[in-house]
This record gives sequence, structure tokens and C-alpha cells, in this order.
Amino acid sequence: MKQLEEKISQAKSLEELEKIRIEIFGKKGALAKEFAKLKDIPGPEKKAFAEGLNKKKSYLQKLYDEIYETLKQEEIEKLLKSEAIDVSLYSNLETKGALHPVMETMDKIIDYFVALNFSVEDGPKIEDDFHNFEALNLPKNHPARDMQDTFFCKDGGVLRTHTSPVQIRTMLKQKPPIRMIAPGAVFRKDYDLTHTPMFHQVEGLVVQDKGEVSFANLKSILSDFLVYMFGDVEVRFRPSFFPFTEPSAEVDISCIFCSGDGCRVCSHTGWLEVLGCGIVDPNVFDAVEYKDVSGYAFGLGVERFAMLLHKIPDLRMLFEGDTRLLEQFR
Amino acid sequence: MIVTRTWLNNFIDISEVSNEKLYETFNDIGLEVDSIKTYSIPSKVVVGKIVSCQKHPDADKLSLCQIDVGSETLQIVCGASNVVDAEFVAVATIGAKLGDNFEIKPTKLRGVESNGMVCSASELGLPNIGDGIMILDDSIGELVVGKELNEYPKVADTVIELELTANRGDCLSIHGVARDLSAKLDIPLNNLEYENNDKIKIGLARVAELKSDGPIMGALKYTMADINGLHTSLIISLRLAFIDALQSSHLQNIVKYTIHTTGVILRAYDVSDILVEEDEKITISTVTKENITYIQANGKELSILGINHNSEAVAYDDATKVLFEASYINPVILTNAIADKELETDELYYNTSRGSEPDLSIGIKYLTYLLEQYNECNFFDGVISLDDESEEKVITVNDKEISNIIGKSIDKSKILNILTGLGFRVQSSAEDAFGVTVPKFRHDIENIQDIAEEIVRIIGINNIESKPLKFTEAPRVNETLNRYYAKKDIRQRAVSASFYESISYAFTDKSLLEKYQFPIVKEELDIINPITEDLNTLRTTILINLLNAVKRNVSYSKKSIALFEIGTIFNQNREEKEVLSLIFSGQKEGENVTNSGKPNPIDFETFTKKLSSIIGDFELRAGVEQNALTHPYQSAEIIIDNEVSGFISKLHPTVAEEFDLPTSFIAEISFDALIPKHINAKPISKFQGVYKDLSLVIDKNLPYNQVAMAIKQIDLPLLKKFYPIDVYEDETLKEQKSLTIRLFIQSQNGTLEDKDIEETVNKIINTLQEQYGATLR
Repeated sequence: MKQLEEKISQAKSLEELEKIRIEIFGKKGALAKEFAKLKDIPGPEKKAFAEGLNKKKSYLQKLYDEIYETLKQEEIEKLLKSEAIDVSLYSNLETKGALHPVMETMDKIIDYFVALNFSVEDGPKIEDDFHNFEALNLPKNHPARDMQDTFFCKDGGVLRTHTSPVQIRTMLKQKPPIRMIAPGAVFRKDYDLTHTPMFHQVEGLVVQDKGEVSFANLKSILSDFLVYMFGDVEVRFRPSFFPFTEPSAEVDISCIFCSGDGCRVCSHTGWLEVLGCGIVDPNVFDAVEYKDVSGYAFGLGVERFAMLLHKIPDLRMLFEGDTRLLEQFR
Repeated sequence: MIVTRTWLNNFIDISEVSNEKLYETFNDIGLEVDSIKTYSIPSKVVVGKIVSCQKHPDADKLSLCQIDVGSETLQIVCGASNVVDAEFVAVATIGAKLGDNFEIKPTKLRGVESNGMVCSASELGLPNIGDGIMILDDSIGELVVGKELNEYPKVADTVIELELTANRGDCLSIHGVARDLSAKLDIPLNNLEYENNDKIKIGLARVAELKSDGPIMGALKYTMADINGLHTSLIISLRLAFIDALQSSHLQNIVKYTIHTTGVILRAYDVSDILVEEDEKITISTVTKENITYIQANGKELSILGINHNSEAVAYDDATKVLFEASYINPVILTNAIADKELETDELYYNTSRGSEPDLSIGIKYLTYLLEQYNECNFFDGVISLDDESEEKVITVNDKEISNIIGKSIDKSKILNILTGLGFRVQSSAEDAFGVTVPKFRHDIENIQDIAEEIVRIIGINNIESKPLKFTEAPRVNETLNRYYAKKDIRQRAVSASFYESISYAFTDKSLLEKYQFPIVKEELDIINPITEDLNTLRTTILINLLNAVKRNVSYSKKSIALFEIGTIFNQNREEKEVLSLIFSGQKEGENVTNSGKPNPIDFETFTKKLSSIIGDFELRAGVEQNALTHPYQSAEIIIDNEVSGFISKLHPTVAEEFDLPTSFIAEISFDALIPKHINAKPISKFQGVYKDLSLVIDKNLPYNQVAMAIKQIDLPLLKKFYPIDVYEDETLKEQKSLTIRLFIQSQNGTLEDKDIEETVNKIINTLQEQYGATLR
């Protein structure tokens, strides 16, 4: 008995222990041999012998279980140690790319207006004179056409100079009330430090019954929108001129670089121009044969928003797939 | 448009209005301030009177002047040649600091003491008004010897540059800007004051007449003067220099100054260029065709109304008799009339096409005043003119409607006040609606919303309280929104697959499209005025732009570049289509411990896996050459839902070399094919299926997709899916290869029997044997 105990206690590995287990508990093991003696023991002693044997067996079993547990633990410990690696070497093995900051800004703008029950509309990049100019109260020879250096196609098509033609297309396709935005690329023949021949705009249009939509409403939605985009900024409206709105305004935010104290970015004015907007000109409604309606419209340049939001210094870099810039937006 | 404080003061007293308030007011009324600059003259620069001026004893080009500066008379050596003509000059006395490092000190010039400096305009920080020193005259105010020059506000003026919107031609003059300011600030607008003189004059009608063949679309006025002597006063020089319009001709300077002050378009003609005989009568005649008025005098062309003038007849300082023309034309009629006509326009067309001042008399009067008062000129008496016969616009205005547009209740009386201040004539009425006559100088005002804008400008947008709009909710999810979400999804997945989103222009280089065999937009549909030669056509692929972008990144020493763009391309017929384009160039992953810092270049397998993780399942069909960017043996068509939807390829090594790129892979896929489709669930079989591998020996050059196509065409209801798992080639197989395909066979209706499996496998073997001579390995 002592011998068996020692054998179990001295087992060095699970394998050794397994051998011992068979030696002791196996069908032909030590215990089985002991139990075999039972049949030769006379009746009255049989019970006591059996009890003693069972006690012994359960004692050994308990010992075995303990040793097994210990050895198993050691084994796992060993396995774990053998699998040790320097995990810190494995940071950033696979890197994700990044969305373009202009597109990501556009997403953010779209999210806002979709949440306000605006629909998203689209139109062709190559427009005709009617949708891009005429219907927007920009008749031929209007001096305001000079404001938008236009790319022309040989057949008279124009590359849309703004997303406003989508307003016209949507009004012709749908009926009031209309609440829409039109995000997308637009084209102007201008190429220098602060202009690229293609850029992105988001246009907004709301049309309801006459007398329902006012300049005060426009102020409300745009002020809230600009705070959503830029955080805690002051918003200022200045009267301006766009052929398709009347009254028209340009919207400034207090400079996010100097908090309005004046710096290079805001040309020391403390303000940054970010939006154009106004009450839809009756001539625009006439062009789409809408009667007794009122509405507002606004438009913004997405690149400008992205550059201001992310403090991107160079506009042209945005169109060059420059990963030195893009990888910062991972 | 450039204005100055003191120039505005001619019309409106803004002496109590600070620069800050002025800046704010201009912005408030929609005249955006571009820049504002106050000129300040350094202290100790004073008015000096030249007592005497002699040649320097030892230097020909220097003068020795005795100059009275009030407290004393200074000896100053001056190098400017025009000092001999001067009486009053600007003297920088000892201690004056001109610029950062330049202090005036007593000095000796060629042995003669000099105790100060006679200054030019630019030396005082003012704009250049010509060679030599600045000669002072009383046009800047009474000249007091010894008085600091900085105390003359007309010299130390504040110059404000306004950015005018295209509709505000009426503000292209000091008078017009003052008119707008007056309404906003509620300060009365003054008329220019002219002193009458009592010279005896000859009536103009005796020497000139004006004939017309009918009404003109504007107005014309003529006057004439004998010119005996001209000079540009200091104030005119300075102000023209502020607006960058100073010329060498005194007469042209005075005309330009009058135009900028009053807004009236004025032109001056030399009578000697018009008349053959000196005592001939001048007969001016107008001929109007298609709204364009051609003006002649004695058979010689003078001008085309609002468009240009005959430069050969223009009067300069040598003219002794000058005919002045003041003109106005309705800008809307003008711009429409001139369209499609090849008429050259002069520099005043900018003003006439945006609307110049229709009240010609203020221009004529001011010009007469300037020339007679400050120059030796005698005007003839009276003017000859053709008046504007067009009717004035009357707009019916209703204060409630105005209030509705603005979203704030505005009193009728307030509206009336504002409009009157802006020069509108209001027909008072007890009714809600009232008529408003639009002044001719506001041709841009056409309807009640234009009137509302005037009200908004003057009350100030920032005084309108924001009000949220009440609207009716409606379902607004449409195809465009769904497409946008699909795009957003694909973009996110491309980012997860390590690509950077790129944006490039919708233009590209036509020669590159041709070189790499992409379609070209038909010439009759393409852009005619490209911005640069390398962006001279509408793109028919995004890949050329992406290759250029990668090339730039390589030049920034980037070793692994993955870009994608979703954008519009065009086909030959200029139809628009959105595509997803991807490029992966260089190392397939970053340098790290797993690859010992030497990652392999991107390969077909890695690129295709990445593409799958972005766009989902697709099938590759080999052997179709798309364009010259593709590699003939590592390119494929991408098949999505049995449609050819794009292509994938290793970049052709020649192209890689031309763009200086490492190993690169490209793909371009129609975005339409990537829009998620509606899916219906199929019943799931309750019975066990089996996998079975089929190893075939087939022609080495037979692409897998042909084998797959053949299998698909067999009617095999039990074959749930199959895919290639091994390709093996060796010498013993010669011109053949071994292809192993794993089949998954399962029944919807019952447990599979061996014969069912056999039947399916045999059908496949037989078909492939028939079609491609395949044998079992």
C-alpha cells in the first residue's frame, strides 16, 4: 500500500502517471489483484475486507486525481511557456486604408440632412444650358455667368458648374413639398492654388406652399447645421447675390483657427465664408411652372468644409491620391 | 470697387463713423469688404514751403533748397528734378522715421549740409503717383506750413476695397456706394456742390447738333469745352493711384476721376480729329440697329453706345477743343444685344454691362466743375442730348408678403422709409398693397422678392430671428439614397482591405487613352476648352489617373500603394457610368517581423482576395484582352451574376516601366453590378451531403472557367457546388495538366445512394471527355 502511494506521488509526468494508473487501477492492476482475493475470503470477514479495500482504492484514487491535476497544470504551464512570443512586435501587421477626407465630410453632411427628412437626389455631370443656367435665372449674356468659368462640349453641353441643375430636375420630376439635397462633383475652368477644375458641392432645396418658407427658416437650419459641422462657432449672414435666389446671403462662421481674433486663414477678418443661400427666385419657379409656392435653397463646397474641418493646407493635394495625406485619416 | 473715407465724404458725412462700424455696415448691406487699409504718414513729416531752390555747387543733378517748415527754414539737398516746379512739398524733418530702419538725420551731401528730406509719395508709404517728389496743393485742404502731413485726412486716408456682386452696377461709383450707406446709416446723401462761375459762354447748340434715327436704349449727352491748360491735382492723383487708374494724361485722369466719383460713363473726343474745317458745325448722328447704337460725328465714328469708342478720336492733353460724351444704356438690353456679335469692348464695358449711372447730368456737371474750377477750361453753354424714353418699372408691394418672405413682421412705414432712402419712389396708399417705382440705376430689381432683399439688407440679416420650418414628413428614401449607401458600404470595405480612397478629375490625357487603347469620347461631344493639355478629354477610365497618382506616391518613396476611386467615366457617346477602380502597387504588405522586412510584391492571389473581400463573389474568365494596360497572361474578366462587369489584371510590365511603377495590379468594375440585390432564402436540405474529389487530366492551356462552364451546363440537381482545389503539371503530363475539382453532392429529398453519386460524377466526366478530351487521372 505504501509502495503504491509512493509510486503515484513520485510520478514525474502525465505519461508516467498513466502507466502507474494502469499498474494500479487497470484490469490486471494491483487493486484488481487485491479484489480478486475477495472470493477466497470466508463470509464473515468478507465485508470488512471489502470495505478496507474500497477505502484504500478511494484513497489512492483521490491521490491519483490530485497528482494528475498537478501534473496536468505543469504540462499546460510548459506548453504555454513554449508558445511565448513578443506580442508587441505584431502591432499593425495589416493596416486599413482610409476614406478620403472630402468624401468623409460629404458623408457627414448627407447624414445630417437625411436625418432631417431630406431626400438625396442626383443628376448628370454633363448638363444642358437650360438646367445649368437658363432655368436658374441665368439667362444668356447675364454677367453672373462670368462668375462660373464653364467647360463646354462641342455639341453645346456644359459640365455642370454647380449642383443647382439637380434642383431643376427634381422640381420637374416631383411635386411640392420638396426637401432635397444634391451632393456631387461640379466643374469650373479655374486652376490655381485655391481652385481646381473639379470640386464637390452639396445643394439643398426646400419647396412648400406660398408664405410657408421664409428667410428666418433658412437661418435656422443653416445655423444649426454649421454648429453640427464645426462645433461651437458663431454664424453670420451677409446679404449677397445669386441669380437663383432673392434675397440671397453668404454665410460665415467665426474663424475656427483663431476663434475670431483674426489670422492668416481668415485674412484677419475673424470670419470664414462657408455657404451661399437664399429664398428661391420666382423666375426659377416660373421655369419649372410652379405656382403659389415658396422655398429656400443653399449650396456649399465640400472641399472647403473638409479643409477647414481637418486643417488641410493644400486644395490641390486632395486630387492627387497623395497617401502622405490620406494615411493620416486612418 | 475701391472707395476711400474722404472720397465718400463728398456725398455723405461719415466722420462720426469708425472704420470698424464702416466695415461691419458694408458687410451687412451686401457690399463685402475685401480689404481695408489706412495710410498713415510718419510723424515729423510736415508741409514745407520752398523759399528758394538753386543748383548744388558740386552736383548737376542735385538741388539746394531753403524750405520753410514753420518753426524754421531748413537747408535741404534734393535729388528730384521736379522740385524746381514746386512751391509746397512734404518735408521729412530730422527724427522722422520713414520705414523700419530709415531715420532722417542731419547729413552732408557732396559737401553741403542737408537737414531733412523732400519726399515722394512712395517714400511716405503712399502709392506711387509719378516720378520725383510729391508736390502739394490745396486740393488736400488748406496748406499750413509746418503742419504734420498726417493731419490731412485726404492724404492719410482709409482705402476700402469692396467685392461687388454682379447685380450691383449701381455701386461702381463713390456716389452709388454712398447712396447705399446713406440708407443703412440713416445719414442724408448730399449732392456734390458746384460753384457757379459767371464766365460768358457760347451756346453749344450754335456749334453742335445731335440727330438720331429713332429712340436709343439709353441716354446720351454732349458738351464741349475749350482747353487751355490742364493739370492733375494732388487729390486726384492720389485717389486714382489708390484705385490703380492713374495715367499720364491729365484730361484722361480727370475724366476717369469723374467716372469713378459719379458712375456716369464719360468719353472725351478731340474736336480736331472730328472736324476737317475748323469752323465746321459738329453734327452727331446715331443709328440704332438691333438695339446697338452706332454714333458718328461728321461722318467719323465716335463710339458704339456702351461698348467701345474710336480710339483715334480720343482727346489727350494736346487737344484744344474737346467734345465730352456722357452715356447710359440699359445693361440687360446691352448684354443681350452684344451676344453673338463680334464687337470689341473697351474697359468701360465692365461698368456699362453691369449698369452705369443713368442720371448723366451729375457726371457732366461734376466734370465741368473740375475742369473749370481747377483748370483753364471754358465750357460751352448747355448740353445736347437724347433722353432715355424707357418707362420706369413699377412693382406692387404688400407688406405682409414681404414679412412672409423674410419671416419677420416688418411695418409698412419701415418698408416705405427704407425704399425711399434707397432712391425708390413710393406711391403712398392706405391699402395694404402699394406701388414702388424702381430707380433706373437699380435695373436688377424686378419683383417683390428683390424688394424683400433690399429690406433684408437694410434691416440686417442678423436682426432676423431664426425660426425652424414646419414641414410635413414624407418617406424620402429613393434609389439615389440606396445607391449612396451601397457606395458607402463598398468604400468602407475597400478601406478595410487596406485601400485609400482617392479622388481625381473627370478629365484625363487623350494621348494616354489612345496609347493604352481605351475608348475616346467622340470629338463632337468632347470638351472644347480644356484647362490643361494633360486634362484635355472626358475620362473613359479612372485607371490612367490612378496610375499617375501611384507614380507620384512612388516618388515620395512609398513602397506599397493601394488606391481606389468610385467615380464617373464616360463612353464614346459620352454616356455617364460609375465605376469602382482599384490599383495595388509594390509590396503586398508592410515590412515587419513576419516577412523579415522583405514582403513579397503584390500578386494575383492577394489582389483577388482583397477584391473579393470588397465586392463579394465573382467569377474570373480568362483570356480577354481589355486594353493595353493589361497583362495578356494574368488578366481576366470579372463576371458578376453572369454579366461581364469589369476586369482585373496585372499591370503590363511595359506600362509599369513607363510609369516607373513596381509590380502592380489593377481592376475596374461597373458600380451598377455592385448594388446589393434582393435575396430569397432557399430551403435547406435535411440530408447529409458528400464531398467528392475529381482529378482530371486535360489540356494545359484550357482555363478552369471553361471547365466550370461545361459543368454548369449539365443538368445536375444533386451538385450543390464545386470548386478547383489543385492544379498539377509535370513532365510526364507533357502538354496536359491535372486538375482536381471538389464536388459537393447533396439531395433535397432523401439520403444519397452510391448510384446517385456515381451518376453525377459520371455525367461530369463524360461531358468533359466529350468537350475537352479530359480523362480521369
